[in-house]
Amino acid sequence: MKKIYLYSTLLFISLLILWEMIVKVKKISPLILPKPTTIADHLFTLLLSGYFTPHIFTTLVEIISGFFVGALLGIGLGLLVAQSNTLRLVLKPYIIATQAMPKVALAPLLILWFGYGYTPKILIVALISFFPLFESTITGLLVVDKDRLALFQLLKASKWQTMWRLQMPTAIPYLLSGMRVAVVLSVVGAVVSEFIGANKGLGALIIVAQGMMDTPLLFSAFILLTAIGILLYASIYAIEHLFLRKYTTYRRKIS
Amino acid sequence: MQAPYIQLKEIRLTFDKDQKDTIRRFSLNIKEGEFISIVGKSGCGKTSLLQMVAGMQKPTSGLITIGGHEVKEPVDELSYVFQKPILLEWKTILENVLLPLQLKRKLTEKDTKKAKEMLDRVGLTDAIHKFPYECSGGMQSRVAIVRALLDKPQILLMDEPFSALDSFTRDQLHVQLNELIDTYKPTVLFVTHDLQEAFFLSDRIILLGGEPGRILKEYQVPFTRPRQKSISFDQSFYNFQQDMNERLQS
Repeated sequence: MKKIYLYSTLLFISLLILWEMIVKVKKISPLILPKPTTIADHLFTLLLSGYFTPHIFTTLVEIISGFFVGALLGIGLGLLVAQSNTLRLVLKPYIIATQAMPKVALAPLLILWFGYGYTPKILIVALISFFPLFESTITGLLVVDKDRLALFQLLKASKWQTMWRLQMPTAIPYLLSGMRVAVVLSVVGAVVSEFIGANKGLGALIIVAQGMMDTPLLFSAFILLTAIGILLYASIYAIEHLFLRKYTTYRRKIS
Repeated sequence: MQAPYIQLKEIRLTFDKDQKDTIRRFSLNIKEGEFISIVGKSGCGKTSLLQMVAGMQKPTSGLITIGGHEVKEPVDELSYVFQKPILLEWKTILENVLLPLQLKRKLTEKDTKKAKEMLDRVGLTDAIHKFPYECSGGMQSRVAIVRALLDKPQILLMDEPFSALDSFTRDQLHVQLNELIDTYKPTVLFVTHDLQEAFFLSDRIILLGGEPGRILKEYQVPFTRPRQKSISFDQSFYNFQQDMNERLQS
């Protein structure tokens, strides 16, 4: 396993060296494609000077708040809808329609309604992260084996006990994979909503960098966004590892 | 004469209005503490019978009573062992065994002690903190049986609980089950394909067959308890097996 990590790192370094050499040899303009070393220099200088701090903070607030609102609504509604077949069937066409709808296309409308502050961005992120969590909650709750439900029926478990002690633990692996998808989509949601109307945030910075033709800055913002995405994705794994391991380990062991 | 504890009266079961009956005119009286096995070919309605007694399925017509009361839903004094052990993978063996009690009330030290003692009786002392995926099929079956017996049920319904196991493990579990049954003395209704298993464990064997399913014959097992595995090599077992095979084929 350690060797695999070594190979991955070596591949990454080789690609950076190749990139650096191509830009040098072909004398590509830094406006089109800066060298990795130039980008790194730019990134660290601006990071250390604190230039990026308010932008990172803004984008993080949008992502995390939006994700929490989306998760709360997605998981909450998922729990509710999974309880009733009728409710599920009544809501089905709306769920499909809202899923098919490109949520980021609503950003201009939300900015029109709520202005340029945090609200429209958080709403976009919430809308985007809502569906993977809503879907995974319903799937996880309904995937329970019918023999297990029969066991709980025989043990005279209440609806609440069946939900809490059987359906929720079964749903946890589905919820976690839903969260992993949602958290990455949240980054996309925050950036796109900043593209449309913002003066702060890494998405807004990309638009500014494009206007100033500051390609190293554009790359730096892009790298920071990628790092945020990776960190958030990894934090879901960390939560799983620290608190929910017993609900997911068996799936790997028996598969 | 002792009144029947469990009574099945003129049971008929149809799954679909237009379909043929699965079970027709099935009547059976079971005494308290009796161990009854129901044997028969696949699809003759053995599991459905068990589910009706458990209150999980309603008969199309007829009456099922336990202690004189009609069965309308799962009753408290009953435990069920399924074909698969159905353990919750995120719970340890001990937690799985304690599940029925946990759903009823707050667990006490005494409950845990009792569960550990019972797990010890079936040789699972070292496995109590393991998860089901770390245990063999035989161990999981034992856990399912201990879970069913922990609250000392008056009735134990078992649906081919050993069918997925190898014959060596099955033999071991037959002995352990018999020991537990002799200790806790529940009334048992046991569904199986395995004639030797039925002969070793039961007081009475019901041969179910035909279409729709009905009782072809009842056999009284001529051995008292506690039993030795060697009774499976007794001539009476061979006679019983031969008679049963003939009836099933005719």
